Amino acid sequence: MNHEEIKTVVQEKFLSSERVTAFLCDAKVLHPEWVKRDRLLAIVEYGDEKAVFCLFSSCYPPKSFTDLSIEIVLPIDNSFKCEIDNKPSDPEAILYLNLQSRYNKFKFEIQMTPRVDNFVDDLFRGIEAVNKISTQPEFVWLKKYSIKDEEDFIAENIVLPRTGISNMPNTAPVAIRESLIKRKMCDKESEYTFTKQFTVFCGTWNVNDKSPIIPLKGWLHIDKEPPDIYAVGFQELDLSKETFLFDQTFREDEWYCAVLNYVDKRAKYIKVEKVRLVGMMLIVLIKEKHYPFVRNIVCDTVGTGIMGKMGNKGGVSIRFDLHNTSLCFVNSHLAAHVEEYERRNQDFRDICSRTRFPQVNQQPKAIKDHDQIYWLGDLNYRITELDPITVKKLVNENNFGPVLEWDQLKQQHKNKNVFAGYHEGLIAFKPTYKYDPGTDNWDSSEKHRAPAWCDRIFWKGDRVTQLDYRSHPALNISDHKPVSAIFSSEIKIINEEKYRKIYEEVIKQLDKLENELIPQVKVDVTEVDFGTVRYLELQVRSITIKNTGKLPVEFEFIKKLDEANFCKEWLIVEPYKKCICADETCEIQLKVLINKTSACKMNAGTDQLYDILVLHLYGGKDIFITVNGTYQRSCFGCSIEVLVNLKMPIQEVPVGKLVELESKRDQCVSNQSTYSIPKEIWFLVDHIYLHGLKEPNLFEQPGLHSEVLQIRDWLDTGSIDPIPGSIHSVAEALLLLLESTADPIIPYNLQSVCLRASTNYLQCKQIIMELPEFRKNVFLYLCEFLQEALQHSAENGLDSKTLSTLFGAIFLRDNPNLVQEPQSRINKQVIDKKKAQFVYHFFINDHSDLIFSK
Amino acid sequence: MTSGPYNYSYIFKYIIIGDMGVGKSCLLHQFTEKKFMADCPHTIGVEFGTRIIEVAGQKIKLQIWDTAGQERFRAVTRSYYRGAAGALMVYDITRRSTYNHLSSWLTDTRNLTNPSTVIFLIGNKSDLDGQRDVTYEEAKQFADENGLMFVEASAKTGQNVEEAFLETAKKIYQSIQDGRLDLNAAESGVQHKPASPGRPLAAPPASRDNCAC
Repeated sequence: MNHEEIKTVVQEKFLSSERVTAFLCDAKVLHPEWVKRDRLLAIVEYGDEKAVFCLFSSCYPPKSFTDLSIEIVLPIDNSFKCEIDNKPSDPEAILYLNLQSRYNKFKFEIQMTPRVDNFVDDLFRGIEAVNKISTQPEFVWLKKYSIKDEEDFIAENIVLPRTGISNMPNTAPVAIRESLIKRKMCDKESEYTFTKQFTVFCGTWNVNDKSPIIPLKGWLHIDKEPPDIYAVGFQELDLSKETFLFDQTFREDEWYCAVLNYVDKRAKYIKVEKVRLVGMMLIVLIKEKHYPFVRNIVCDTVGTGIMGKMGNKGGVSIRFDLHNTSLCFVNSHLAAHVEEYERRNQDFRDICSRTRFPQVNQQPKAIKDHDQIYWLGDLNYRITELDPITVKKLVNENNFGPVLEWDQLKQQHKNKNVFAGYHEGLIAFKPTYKYDPGTDNWDSSEKHRAPAWCDRIFWKGDRVTQLDYRSHPALNISDHKPVSAIFSSEIKIINEEKYRKIYEEVIKQLDKLENELIPQVKVDVTEVDFGTVRYLELQVRSITIKNTGKLPVEFEFIKKLDEANFCKEWLIVEPYKKCICADETCEIQLKVLINKTSACKMNAGTDQLYDILVLHLYGGKDIFITVNGTYQRSCFGCSIEVLVNLKMPIQEVPVGKLVELESKRDQCVSNQSTYSIPKEIWFLVDHIYLHGLKEPNLFEQPGLHSEVLQIRDWLDTGSIDPIPGSIHSVAEALLLLLESTADPIIPYNLQSVCLRASTNYLQCKQIIMELPEFRKNVFLYLCEFLQEALQHSAENGLDSKTLSTLFGAIFLRDNPNLVQEPQSRINKQVIDKKKAQFVYHFFINDHSDLIFSK
Repeated sequence: MTSGPYNYSYIFKYIIIGDMGVGKSCLLHQFTEKKFMADCPHTIGVEFGTRIIEVAGQKIKLQIWDTAGQERFRAVTRSYYRGAAGALMVYDITRRSTYNHLSSWLTDTRNLTNPSTVIFLIGNKSDLDGQRDVTYEEAKQFADENGLMFVEASAKTGQNVEEAFLETAKKIYQSIQDGRLDLNAAESGVQHKPASPGRPLAAPPASRDNCAC
């Protein structure tokens, strides 16, 4: 069966207006606690709307749409999300598809085949399309597919993995648990049940459109003891067109009443169920005393007549549980005509495959899913190969054996073409068809057919014994004679006390199992020490998570209560979320980087190199990973006001002192013990001034990261050696130092004033004059130096425009903590231009008056 | 058949809290597995166990969160109190310091759970009576003053372990019956499942949406 053929079958599951646009076989549905295999995924389109369906097939490949049942429906709406992961060990072969729709989230594992591309493309086309339209689609057409009961529950439970800590963890789906319990209890059935014999009467009669004008006692009430169960089937109750077209007939009540009238009166019977399709009717009665033990009564009808659907032929069935035994009764009227035995075999198969009894919390049951099956009806098999005269002669002598050898049903049954696994008792009665109505004479019409045993009773089930199998020729109103059989059947009865005991045991076992199925992992380190961490030096550590449980585990680092992120800003965790298969491991990298935004917080003591990460296992426990280290404080990330107070290199300053200075930086005033500008800035500027003014590409060519770090250490330790590194590295260190100060040179609150004044030099000057003292010093000092550098533009290639853009961004740094309106690119360009314009004034104008005004 | 299909009507969330080494994980293990875990490692994080019990003919699923006791995790474990219907507060009868810290654990519990949360005080390691550092009477008085239920138990012998978990459940169930515990409240720590067939578990959808984020 190729892909297209399967697709045709899948398409049949849906209406013709609902088109299957893509589908995949061999998908698995993954959940931390269970896996469902061999699912089909289909994308179905109805008008503009699309949805993803996950289907279960009772056989593979599915032969007919009835083999398929829909398990999951995910409408592709605005909330629909799709993420695709590879299996790291085998990226070519396996793909994980995470689909989320509204409140449902599912993870599918699919085999990498060329079809996957089509499927995924189609999926994304659907997502794209739905995001283009402004109105939310309604998915009215999906209502009929809404999955209830078990699936609904599972969906609810897999859904919405908690992102915070306080939620309930995902519990093992109860439905799964219940089915497990059921299975376990089934395995142990013999330990808590005993059996009792019940007698079952099965009768069948093709009444050929007649009303019950004669007593039925000779058919229904001839046994010594009243049976425990009556199953009575009729065919051709009513041959009128109205019945066929509208499925209504007054004969239903007539015959039902007749049956009730003529069943054995020594016992009181209660109707279990009655079901009719056109002319086929099945009635099941049970002794009143057994009725309390009857449960889960369901019936179904299947038409196999005209076009394979109509109810002139087919089968009607009733199933129920009696004590702990499941019973199914089928009454069928199979295709007519002597030669059509193949058609009759087909009808049998269709009834078997299409009869479905819906169950609460379970897959629907089929006929075959029962402990005992009783199948009766006008099966319509004939005698071929023997001429009618011989047949009549032999049967008139009660010599049935030679005739039965040519019975189509015996032959087909023997070859297992029909009723495979079923039994039929010895036939010791005359053929039941065809008679002249009202007589015991063979049909005298011109057709001149051989008589046949059309009306038969089969059974299936280990504990069923047939006691009698007979026809009732005295009931002669029809062209068929009624047939009946009596069975002695073992019914399993529950010993309440033992049941309870075993039930408790099973529950206990499952409790244990459930606790064992909670995801289990081993993490090699839960405390990660980064040792000494320095400014701008990336440090990496890794931890390994091993899945030691039996099922795939999905982990995620989750947020703690009231925190915006799952880790501090200086920490990067990769990957922060992933699924690990059983026995596999996953390495997680933890990277620490103290940059300009985090350095000032470290210096000020408002943050520490310490964090506890919560590693959450879906459906299971949380593991705390502690991350710590010691931050080597640096002049990078200090405030200007703090730096001017430091007479010694920063590494010689006690941590407490630094924190104190940072906290008081607003009150800092100049005195004998302060520098007018930070010595670190002076060192760097002076070095460039002395050695690098003529360096080509000054401030444009980047330095070497390693040299920048050396310069950092040189500044922080107050080395007496010459400054290490090239001029470019020194220039970059200077820029970094200016960028990493806790506050920018021009405070955040003055930024907008500066931008407004940017075209007016006088106003700009005014703003600078009013800056806090040390900021003003740094600003003017740097401008003076840059003017000097611009004198050498012939050698160093500097131009005032480039320089003002560079320093504009540094002096007028944007506040990273301010949540800004998303700026348009043009707007940002305008702002950048104004910043440049602001500092440009100070690069081209002589502002010595400002310096001397001090 | 009287037993009917397997069903439970409620889910109760419990947390177990207390100083490091008082035997929280062992109590959980004893309750879920009926076994004593001899070399139980320190819990680094939050472990999780479940068991189904019966109270007044109702099947109740207990979802038990066993938290790390180390002081340094205190800030993180506080996140787990929310939505607990029962809190088992454990100290070690042989170590007075673990008893002395109870008031701080109690403060956290009162602050972070709702008023109807049932708090049960357990003095663990009652099998080590010879090394006793806290008398029964003293702890009983503390419990009475603070309106806590109290037993001394042993995760090792299993003595009173079952009782502590079950009594807590009974008290919670009683609160539901009395209407003191509002099942619809987001933080009640109880999920109710109507007994109607067809829906194996109907946790109120609201309780899934009230995540912290």
